[in-house]
Amino acid sequence: MTTTTKSASRKLTIARAMAEATAQEMRIDPRVFVMGEDVGPLGGVFGNTRGLHDEFGPERIRDTPISETAFIGAAVGAASDGMRPVVELMFVDFFGVCMDAIYNLMAKNTYFSGGKVKVPMVLMTSTGGGYSDAGQHSQCLYGTFAHLPGMKVVVPSNAYDAKGLMTAAIRDDNPVVFMYHKALQGMGWLGTEKGATVAVPEEAYTVEIGKAAVAREGRDVTLVSLGVGVHHSLRAAQALEAEGFSAEVIDLRSLVPLDRETLRASVAKTGRLIVIDEDYHSYGVSGEIIASVAEHPGCRLRAAPKRVAYPDIPIPFAPTMEQWALPNADKIVAAFHQMLSES
Amino acid sequence: MTTEITVPTDLWEGDTEGVITAWLVNDGAEVAEGDLVAEVMVEKAQYEIEAPATGRLGIAKEEDEVVSKGSVIATLEP
Amino acid sequence: MQPTAEQRRWMYRNMVLSRYLEERIEALYMEGKTPVFNMAKGPIPGEMHLSNGQEPCAVGVCAHLEAGDIVTATHRPHHIAVAKGVDLDAMVAEIFGKATGLSGGRGGHMHLFDAAVNFSCSGIIGEGLGPAVGAALSRKLQGKPGVAVAFMGEGAANQGAFHEALNLAAVWQLPVVFVIEDNAWGISVAKQASTAVPRNDARASAYGMPGHHVADNDVEGVYAAAGEAIARAREGLGPSLIEIETVRLAGHFMGDGEDYRPKGEKEGLTDPIPRYRGTLLEAGVLDEAGDAALVAEAHARVEAAIRFAQDSDFLPPEAALTTVFV
Repeated sequence: MTTTTKSASRKLTIARAMAEATAQEMRIDPRVFVMGEDVGPLGGVFGNTRGLHDEFGPERIRDTPISETAFIGAAVGAASDGMRPVVELMFVDFFGVCMDAIYNLMAKNTYFSGGKVKVPMVLMTSTGGGYSDAGQHSQCLYGTFAHLPGMKVVVPSNAYDAKGLMTAAIRDDNPVVFMYHKALQGMGWLGTEKGATVAVPEEAYTVEIGKAAVAREGRDVTLVSLGVGVHHSLRAAQALEAEGFSAEVIDLRSLVPLDRETLRASVAKTGRLIVIDEDYHSYGVSGEIIASVAEHPGCRLRAAPKRVAYPDIPIPFAPTMEQWALPNADKIVAAFHQMLSES
Repeated sequence: MTTEITVPTDLWEGDTEGVITAWLVNDGAEVAEGDLVAEVMVEKAQYEIEAPATGRLGIAKEEDEVVSKGSVIATLEP
Repeated sequence: MQPTAEQRRWMYRNMVLSRYLEERIEALYMEGKTPVFNMAKGPIPGEMHLSNGQEPCAVGVCAHLEAGDIVTATHRPHHIAVAKGVDLDAMVAEIFGKATGLSGGRGGHMHLFDAAVNFSCSGIIGEGLGPAVGAALSRKLQGKPGVAVAFMGEGAANQGAFHEALNLAAVWQLPVVFVIEDNAWGISVAKQASTAVPRNDARASAYGMPGHHVADNDVEGVYAAAGEAIARAREGLGPSLIEIETVRLAGHFMGDGEDYRPKGEKEGLTDPIPRYRGTLLEAGVLDEAGDAALVAEAHARVEAAIRFAQDSDFLPPEAALTTVFV
């Protein structure tokens, strides 16, 4: 494992934060082990297991065949038998070949057993596009996973939350899907968002699963997002500030459980809601957030809510088309202006 | 005495240029010898830069700047 | 089964053309990506999986195929597309994401579809097998001629889809051939670390079909095995499996540091193209002047396709919303 700095201002990329959290739990808990494609000597295609193979060896950091149904199913079995596996599905887009192990086994065995069988495993998986990897390597699918009961779902936007959520996920007695966005990962070749690399304490700590964060306080509008969308929202909030508007930014961090109280409290204050989601527009996170606010008897929206989400199309390869379709800060600002003009 | 942090000449094979993808310590912070301070990327491979001494970090090459082997990327003031 | 002199030159020419295409793509892919390697930048953004070294698999199989036969390929598809006769201009334009591309830039290099020659590919491991089985079923149900060939890497033989598709093709005796390009590496994981048997052709017996093994990336060995398997399929005798020992001369994708490969391993690999050239020269099927002309012609063809792609426009961005449904 790499020497880590003792400096108080030490920063980590999300990739390093995930690896550090995993290593720290592995040092104190022999039940924790890692499985996945290229997680061994390569350290993960997206860097989140780097250094682990050197420290823990091939027994506990296991490269797998390209057999997701088998190794994710195996994680369910190992977790039910007392281990705490951390498994990686390299791209979330690949869930198609192994979803049964995820949503019919991992997510349901605890319920089927009346709570007597625990499935304490972490399924980590990369999300997101923006770099022309086309429609089978660029999806977010947050709504797909969050829709299915029985698994917790977390989506960090920065390295501090990534470490704390990973530690919490490994310690959780329930299955947790840990969805990390490629553009936040700290892999330079994916053009990392600088705001994701932040100060991270050396010691182990947890970020509570199910608690959203107020990433920026404001009065005039609530911008709700997750993952890379939080950074778009913060940039939009800055732009709006220059126009004299004060935007509050909520970083969901967890989709399951969803922190509806924080959402409602923020919208109760601002009266306006825009949801920013890189996942598909329909039947997803943005609809759930708006419904969660609107269905509450205390809801006092001053304007119809808006969403800035990915259109309901497969993700195109050509950068001209993909960039046009992706959410960004300009679209958020435009949505706010539209909202003002409508109310 | 000021110590320079340079890109080690044996960090990767060949003479390809790299880029600083992340400073893992803020400018002006105190670091200890052996601390990991930065990541440098050559094509898709990432390499680590450690502090060769203890001191206060003065960043000379910012994130996204191109570096070569031997480039001075920061200084350490005791 | 021996290829004719004409077939041998055809195979060699397509190998040369495919390789030069990859070399040009490699250079163009790196534009805008040095010194900072950001996948999103340059005229060809995104991932790029080059097929350098695997050309014998494509030409040895496709030498037996007609335009009406079906091929499903992988995330590393260029050599197979070239050998199957995919429209080169439209293919290169697609790799550049242009309006004149096979799908107007919606698919990119891992999602090449040319219905005119029944070619398609997918970026998901092992997912070309089911569609090949289905296309073969379609021909059988319609009483139409044609075979389907599913290409895959050796890593795909550990996916559930591999085992399900082989069984299905055999139980229904469909005209399909499964071709494994064994380049020994699944990204960073070596075959022996991922696969319970040293050779996947052994798995054919589990599904009651013939298994062929081609050693040493041998062009004419591929030709012979594929000829037998495809003839069998055309005669209605059912599916076959072929595993070809090939080589991945490039990384898994462009920018791959390949630190996981043992020192010297890559240097010890044989490039199949100069070797086959030598074979053909020695056999008198090709002479130096003929080779020079063939190479020049292949290069010119690639350059023309690249110019076509570069000179083409992008679709307007709103076109992203079209063709979801027809």
